[in-house]
Amino acid sequence: MISPHPELPAEVVIVGAGPAGLACALRLAQIIDTHNAAHPEAPISKDGICVLEKGREPGAHLLSGAVMDPGALRRLAPEFATDLAALDAVPVHDDAAWFLSRRRAWRLPITPPPLRNHGNYIISLQKLGAWLAQKVEAAGITIFSGVAGAELLWTESGRIAGVRTDDKGRDRDGQPKTGFEPGSDITAPVTVLAEGVRGSLTEQLRKRLRLEGKIPQTFALGIKEIWELPPGRFPAGRVYHTLGWPLGNALYGGGWIYGLPENRISLGLVTGLESSDPRLDPHALFQIFKTHPWVRQLLQDGEMIRFGAKALPNGGWPALMPLAGEGWLLLGDSAGFLNGQRLKGIHLAIESGCLAAESVFAALRDRSPARLGEYATRARQGAIRRELWPARNFHRAFEHGMALGLARAGLQWIMGGRDPFGFAPARPGYQRMRPLAEMRHPAPALTPDGRLTFDKMADVYHSGTRHEEDQPAHLLISDTQICATRCAREFGNPCRFFCPAQVYEMAEQSDGSRQIHLNPSNCVHCKTCDILDPYQIITWAPPEGGGGPDYQGC
Amino acid sequence: MSSVCLLAEQSGGKLNPITLEVLSAAQTLAGAAGLPVRALVLCGADETQAADALAGYALDKVIRVAHARLAPYVAESHLAAALAALAACGSDPLVLLPHTYQTRDYAPRLAARRGQGLITDVTALRWRESRLECSRPVYGGKLAAEVYLRAGPAGFYSLQAGAFPQPPAPAARPVPIEDFAVEIPAPRVLAEAPFQEARQSVDLSQAAAIVAAGRGIKEAKNLEMIRQLAAQLGAEVAASRPLCDSGWLPMDCQIGSSGQTVAPRLYVAIGISGAIQHLVGMKGARTIVAINKDPEAPIFEVADYGLAGDLFAIVPALISALNAA
Amino acid sequence: MKIIVCLKQVPAKDAPLRLAAGSDGRATAIREDVSFEMNEPDAYALEAALRLKEACLARQESGEVAVLTVGPARAAQMLREALAKGADRALHIETPSGAELDSHAIAVAMAAGLQSENFDLILTGLQSDDAGYAQTGLLLAENLGLPHATIIMKIEPHAGGLRVKRELEGGRFQWLELPRPALLTIQSGIDKLRYATLLGIKQAKNKPLARLELSALGVSPGSNRLAVARLAMPEKTKATEMLAGTPAEMAAALAQKLRQLHLVP
Repeated sequence: MISPHPELPAEVVIVGAGPAGLACALRLAQIIDTHNAAHPEAPISKDGICVLEKGREPGAHLLSGAVMDPGALRRLAPEFATDLAALDAVPVHDDAAWFLSRRRAWRLPITPPPLRNHGNYIISLQKLGAWLAQKVEAAGITIFSGVAGAELLWTESGRIAGVRTDDKGRDRDGQPKTGFEPGSDITAPVTVLAEGVRGSLTEQLRKRLRLEGKIPQTFALGIKEIWELPPGRFPAGRVYHTLGWPLGNALYGGGWIYGLPENRISLGLVTGLESSDPRLDPHALFQIFKTHPWVRQLLQDGEMIRFGAKALPNGGWPALMPLAGEGWLLLGDSAGFLNGQRLKGIHLAIESGCLAAESVFAALRDRSPARLGEYATRARQGAIRRELWPARNFHRAFEHGMALGLARAGLQWIMGGRDPFGFAPARPGYQRMRPLAEMRHPAPALTPDGRLTFDKMADVYHSGTRHEEDQPAHLLISDTQICATRCAREFGNPCRFFCPAQVYEMAEQSDGSRQIHLNPSNCVHCKTCDILDPYQIITWAPPEGGGGPDYQGC
Repeated sequence: MSSVCLLAEQSGGKLNPITLEVLSAAQTLAGAAGLPVRALVLCGADETQAADALAGYALDKVIRVAHARLAPYVAESHLAAALAALAACGSDPLVLLPHTYQTRDYAPRLAARRGQGLITDVTALRWRESRLECSRPVYGGKLAAEVYLRAGPAGFYSLQAGAFPQPPAPAARPVPIEDFAVEIPAPRVLAEAPFQEARQSVDLSQAAAIVAAGRGIKEAKNLEMIRQLAAQLGAEVAASRPLCDSGWLPMDCQIGSSGQTVAPRLYVAIGISGAIQHLVGMKGARTIVAINKDPEAPIFEVADYGLAGDLFAIVPALISALNAA
Repeated sequence: MKIIVCLKQVPAKDAPLRLAAGSDGRATAIREDVSFEMNEPDAYALEAALRLKEACLARQESGEVAVLTVGPARAAQMLREALAKGADRALHIETPSGAELDSHAIAVAMAAGLQSENFDLILTGLQSDDAGYAQTGLLLAENLGLPHATIIMKIEPHAGGLRVKRELEGGRFQWLELPRPALLTIQSGIDKLRYATLLGIKQAKNKPLARLELSALGVSPGSNRLAVARLAMPEKTKATEMLAGTPAEMAAALAQKLRQLHLVP
């Protein structure tokens, strides 16, 4: 049978136009240009390099706080320093850490060294993505925006042979509509997975090849709003981090407030996705965070203008999976390159993209796919190791709560990252969830007022999220009976709580029973459901390309 | 500026009712500026009675242009006739017209021929010193703009249906009807007679009235009641997202973000709580009625009339109340 | 057949719009901190043009679609999308950032930009989803001296000209016969919009995209005939009136209100 999927032969397919994928593409173009100038007799074409981006345009799905260590970007594209406005960037001039109790806020006498940001920039990651994408296109590499990677292509011998892109124009039952376009098979000897956190193709790869780090990856969910405040309230370039309330001792995480240009702030809360409480609702916790007198006062007379949510990998060094294999490489958040101690990953994503580009180039030039393996070795040495190795035990320091964890993290800092105590066996976050019946206290909750605090639907509106409505659900639940029976009984359907976008509801049927009901169009692509569902029956698959949030300025 | 001139719309000798709304706006405007109101009626040779209907209202005069080439309507002929007749309305009149499919088809060119501007889809007119400022919805009704003509108030304004509902003032004395003869060259565009056809899909953004149902109606079979009410109000049926999600109504009936943005004269929301995603699609409606069991539902924030209670009792009662007259 | 399609880039449909601070506290424009996309009615005009071209090619006749926009630098993105969907070339009349043009100024600029073009047909959307004046198409026809037809649902070209189906109010339609060249404004939903294919996106990079400066055409915001005095969130002029009583009483009260407002046919 002839495949309905047109084939598009390529040399390199990079999945994801984020900082990692775009850095890889741009660095590759730079290396090829240099090579071609030096070896006009044996030029290498950039025509076969392409980047896939599921967002409507590069940057649309990128979300971060964001404070960026500029080192890697300075090496890749030093001209950024003269184009700061395009990145919405301001140098950090002032930082502090705060501890919050229910009613009070204490400024820590010293800012912990990993949280010192002198020399770093507050940026919009969306704008950085859009900026890098322009450079990549100008360098002659095609970015296919609004095109998702639907599945990996495999050879019979088990190599990755490229990526099949998403079908466009299926109705909600999966039937082709008028104008249906089947996905294309982009065949390439090199597939670079730079999908960001919990990538859907990366998951296919991980499951098929049973890839594991030393410990399972752990995650947190970052929820963010951008506010516009009365002039002079919070200076651009100021960085605050908070610990404590409303997370309590048992919950890993903390808040941030960054001063942006034009009287705006980025305000957010990171909540560990490893709670024992099945009613964990990071969105509600973030809303509660804003009701702290210290935060409320800051936001007084301000206006919320943007919302976003995105998971982040915080397992660090010991959770890193194998980084390269036959025909594939893992970059950035897909690989888990995030320094949880410094709350930074953008520079590591860029760094990994540049390293990957060098190995990909060697593989192209020498027609030797085996050279991809050099990337794994080099990423585990050099700058990425220098940064992640000393913080290797950071996240696990918090296994017995925040208070003990902070002391232990301090000790690790002094001891160069060693931990003198040893850890309990690591478990993925979803396995730490305890049955609803064991919960002794009511879950934290509040009624949104629509000015300071918002319900999930109002926030989703401010994420600019939009999907083609008539398409199959992209949240695949392998057994919805579990939702209605076991999960309802044991955990009370935690998806209703942990999803920050109200994608999951338990709808009452005419016979009084309750069935799972999905609102896939609300999805902000944060990946929390794929990570935290206690039965691991939810698979996040990409919706029709172009759908999803629109994180302008985030 | 010497007069306020109304460009009437008629077909088959019958005035389009919105013409009277435009007339009432013209009377108000002219009264404030101390100007006479003149009405211009373009009609086919056997549609002349359209002018008589206007002569009963407080006007300076009715100017009638009757010509065989004016029926059926063709843009070029209308344009030629209006251009000639306006020249007879005094120097630089301020021209009001209804914002309809027909005026959208020739008014921009008419304004351009006279070297003037046209402000379309006007919902309110007010003098601000020597400027005539017009309110009009922009960005699908999400914002409202105040717009004026830079060269001064003389020019063209097309008014949204339903925006000026006051009936026009009747005439105190008989209003003269003047016939004005024009030359209309043969048009380049030939029009066939209009015909009725069931539309394949409804363009809700053009609907004058909409009855929208939400999750509160509980079951698909209750849509029948919604359809009955819509029929009585001459309205289209629409829905909030959950209903379209459930497949009870086609996707193109969905109001709100990722659906259609509408601005009808009447919007009746039944069993819709009013999530922001729905509100952005309909809050530009002129009159909003909300029927919902939860008196705290956000839909009541944007409603003109709120009916908090059991919709399964209220809707049938409303159907019979509308039937009663 | 050579077809020109006029496109406009407008804020994305669900973009949370905010007002830009005006000089004296009055806003006259929105902030540009949103995503922009092809005006939806224009996307249907493009689709109609591509189908006409394909029909020509299928009959072994020549066919070309060129797209034209008047807009700031960001609008180039929309032109590339049109090229990716199958347009053959693009003309970008670039406006300085922040310059707001009205329909008249845009039409004058477009007419000037089309001076040296030969074409059989110009298609535009029936109106834009931003300001929505619904006049640019007709003003362009006026500037070029072309016959026009608006709100078109179907286009049937033939040797002598065009037969088109126009939508009227109240579910009525009408067939019109036009000579060529002519300008048509296209109703949304006329056809199903196509997706850009990967091959299309790749090929678009090598298609010609010509740029012209607005000022070179003698047009500027000074050419505008309209001015915006103020842009605001729509004010709610009436407070919500909650009708009280039994269902029958509430229904009767509402029926009376609706009749008073002439909302019952």
